[in-house]
Amino acid sequence: MTEQTANLEALMRQSLQGDKQAYAELLRETARMLRPYLSNRLSFDSEVEDVLQEILISIHKARHTYDGERPYKPWVYAIARFRLQDYLRMHYADQLRHAVDIADVENNLHEDVTESDISYESISGEVEKLLPKKQATILRLMHHDGYTAKETAEKLGMTESAVKVAAHRAYKVLREKLER
Amino acid sequence: MADIEQLVESLAADTTEVRPAPHPFALALKWVGAGAAYLVVSLIVSGLRPDLDHALQNPLYIAELVALLLIFLATAFSAALLAFPDMHQKAALAYSPVALFVLFVLLMLAAWHADSPPAPLPVHSWQCTLSIILVSLLPGAWTFYAMRKYASTHYQWAGSIAVLSAFSIGALWLRLHEVNDSIHHVLLWHYLPMLAVSLFGLWLGKKLLKW
Repeated sequence: MTEQTANLEALMRQSLQGDKQAYAELLRETARMLRPYLSNRLSFDSEVEDVLQEILISIHKARHTYDGERPYKPWVYAIARFRLQDYLRMHYADQLRHAVDIADVENNLHEDVTESDISYESISGEVEKLLPKKQATILRLMHHDGYTAKETAEKLGMTESAVKVAAHRAYKVLREKLER
Repeated sequence: MADIEQLVESLAADTTEVRPAPHPFALALKWVGAGAAYLVVSLIVSGLRPDLDHALQNPLYIAELVALLLIFLATAFSAALLAFPDMHQKAALAYSPVALFVLFVLLMLAAWHADSPPAPLPVHSWQCTLSIILVSLLPGAWTFYAMRKYASTHYQWAGSIAVLSAFSIGALWLRLHEVNDSIHHVLLWHYLPMLAVSLFGLWLGKKLLKW
């Protein structure tokens, strides 16, 4: 057992007896000890400070579960891990709640965001020449007339996924022929 | 940094002398004592099975009772350890019920294999599950009430173990009360519900033991 650890345990024993100065010292030492642990696991300093505060409050609430007889560090790290996991769970749950399903936005994307360097107008001749009539019509409706995949499907009496598959195949053919 | 210093000062100002929680073994012994007393009272009220002498001649029945008793003891000790943030630094002991449940499953398989020709099925079915749950309610509530005074960092696991501990009291009571030799019935209506109950315990732990 290192001197520092023994010191923390002694401080905790004094704290349990109501020694306010020892308790303040213990919490400061604990914060110093936990800061690198949290910094390695969280991206921002503000998050580290928030979680550290949560941990210190939890130590305060749970201090009666420490008897001063067993090592202090495993006890404090158990609480730190618990609060960190709690924070991460809430953080990610929150991110998921605010996430937007890609299916909800793709119908509103009138332009092909991944192929912005080639416009439909510049290759419309090749589209008509190289692609089967149905695929060419699909590309024209989607990229010239501004229809969404769903609207194109309705117009052509196809399913939405069939339109997407046909468009995907058409892009593939065009890429192969135009890159030659 | 300034916020942390401010918090440290306010927590230090707030502190007073704190009586440390009892050792988890002392807690567990208290729970086991209370559970045993409750079991005895329940059996006095409901009565022991009239053919107990005969049933006790079956070594598998005795093994089943002993296994249930061990599960009750192990889950009580495990629940007490799990009530502490660091499991009182006895994690292996806290997870010991898992090994006992495996043994219990093996024992039940042996009893099933030995039940040939199968003993007649009793006329009732789900009533047994309901009776076990009703008998388990009081020890379950008491265990959760006691555990909430501490600070579990494994609240779902703690909830599941606490529920199983209470359920094992109910299961022991029914095996000592009900005249029944059908292992098929016992497996289906006494012990399989333990799985559902343990899942319910995970949820209950999350609701009641989170701090």
